[in-house]
Amino acid sequence: MLRAQFPGLNVQVHGKPLVYLDNAATAQRPQVVLDAMNDYYLHHNANIHRGVHSLSESATDLYEQARVSMAQLINAPSEKDLIFVRGCTEGVNLVAQTFVRSRIKAGDEILISHLEHHSNIVPWQILCEQTGAVLKVIPMNQQGELVLDDLDQLINPKTKFMSVVHVSNSLGTVNPIKQLVQAAHDKGVPVLVDGAQATPHLKVDVQDLDCDFYTVSGHKMYGPTGTGVVYGKTEHLEAMPPYHGGGEMISKVTFESTVYNAVPAKFEAGTPNIAGGIGLGAAAEFMLSIGLEKIIARDQQLRVYAEQALAQVDGLRIIGNAADKAPVFSFVIDGVHAHDIGTIIDHYGVAVRTGHHCTMPVFQFYGLAGTCRASLAFYNTEQEVDVLVESLLKAKAMFA
Amino acid sequence: MPDLNQLYKQAILEHNRNPRNFGKPDEWSHHATGLNALCGDLVEVYLNIEGGVLRAVHYAGESCAIATASASMMTEISTGLSVAQWQHKFELFKRLMDKNSQHQSFDELGQVNTLVTVKKFPSRIKSATLCWHAMDAAIQGLPDATTE
Ligand SMILES: Cc1ncc(COP(=O)(O)O)c(C=O)c1O
Repeated sequence: MLRAQFPGLNVQVHGKPLVYLDNAATAQRPQVVLDAMNDYYLHHNANIHRGVHSLSESATDLYEQARVSMAQLINAPSEKDLIFVRGCTEGVNLVAQTFVRSRIKAGDEILISHLEHHSNIVPWQILCEQTGAVLKVIPMNQQGELVLDDLDQLINPKTKFMSVVHVSNSLGTVNPIKQLVQAAHDKGVPVLVDGAQATPHLKVDVQDLDCDFYTVSGHKMYGPTGTGVVYGKTEHLEAMPPYHGGGEMISKVTFESTVYNAVPAKFEAGTPNIAGGIGLGAAAEFMLSIGLEKIIARDQQLRVYAEQALAQVDGLRIIGNAADKAPVFSFVIDGVHAHDIGTIIDHYGVAVRTGHHCTMPVFQFYGLAGTCRASLAFYNTEQEVDVLVESLLKAKAMFA
Repeated sequence: MPDLNQLYKQAILEHNRNPRNFGKPDEWSHHATGLNALCGDLVEVYLNIEGGVLRAVHYAGESCAIATASASMMTEISTGLSVAQWQHKFELFKRLMDKNSQHQSFDELGQVNTLVTVKKFPSRIKSATLCWHAMDAAIQGLPDATTE
């Protein structure tokens, strides 16, 4: 059984079996990921791309193989199009400060959406402050879907870049990325897609999406924390300036000048998170070995089951009912504040997130301070959904 | 394991159901906002201070039961005090709620002492202390207070 491969699920909380429904915050990691990281530390511990000694070579091979596995997972044309980063947050900042910064000036516009995570808002606000560019926002509706009616005006001659989330972390909405990319490209605007919540749930194909950049968060897709990749089209990666300066990203340094290394090393200054990168590669291989079709089918089952189960809780309102949705449920209950729900159901072993989930503008739209969010992964079970519902009923009873 | 009933005591649930001095008053002399950036809790405190005396204490905002009860109790215990007397109680309250302190109650805090069990739920201590910090900020003439 797949679930048995996740040792972190096998713990008790307040004397109850853990019911882990906070996967959108960070997922659990399978044994193969932990083993891959340990194997590096135990048997291949050396710095990469540096030594001629055997360990350095085998460590380099493992790290570079991880890049290949990640490229395969998102169907990148070449592993050289992938830059290892700490996560989606660093990925967005990297693209903002290199590719976009080098081609933007005062008065230009950057387009994001109302559904963005703070990590796809703040880097653009910083860039706007630095350059005098202006941030524009694609609106959303009550369902939690993007409203594309005015897209034609929103993408105008001043628009220099678009950055949109693939799957909303707070509502679960799956955005019509192909359509958005097409609309932007029709007007020559490059697009970054924040895939933090997409790779755990969808079959991502960056060539089919035709996006210019795609960011992946390792820890949300069963990989280690502090890992991720940015995919970029080769011509962009070649053209854009480096991000951080340091070792590894150079091919020749004198005090007068420096020649940068080839892509992707140009963007990977310093000793990277080697064990983490190797673990991330193992996570990608793990997902590929299960098969995305199977993960998608299981997500779908759980989503339908949870939707029906939550409907049994009187006074519970699900926030975000997009037609295309990941198994993520933001909800509020009449008369019980989200934080109180979170504390009470924790006592029954249930882990959910409460608050604004780093998407404050989404909840400003709904006029809410926050919600409870149950986010499921393929290893969750129907019984766990039942425990969630029972514990919610107990929280309600306490406040009755 | 701390029992949920120690957190959600009857007194706390009762204040949550019927919060005292809740809502924005028509007039006030001092105001501050309390924001817990981590969980998004937001509380507004409105004071009417005349001649160094807290004539009226109100609060508004949407928050959890712990924050609501704490604010409600705070307004009750604070109304009519001099600013100096309030500051003394605030000091005692901070000592009561310090998770490293052994204090279980201070006579001067009256029913506010029921909040002491929140200490057993460290992630919720800030829910209980936010409104007090906001009130302190209002008295000092600061626009806001944060607990994070
Ligand atoms: C939609 C979305 N984008 C970006 C991020 C940030 O990702 P990371 O934690 O990898 O920096 C998250 C994670 O919370 C997310 O859910």
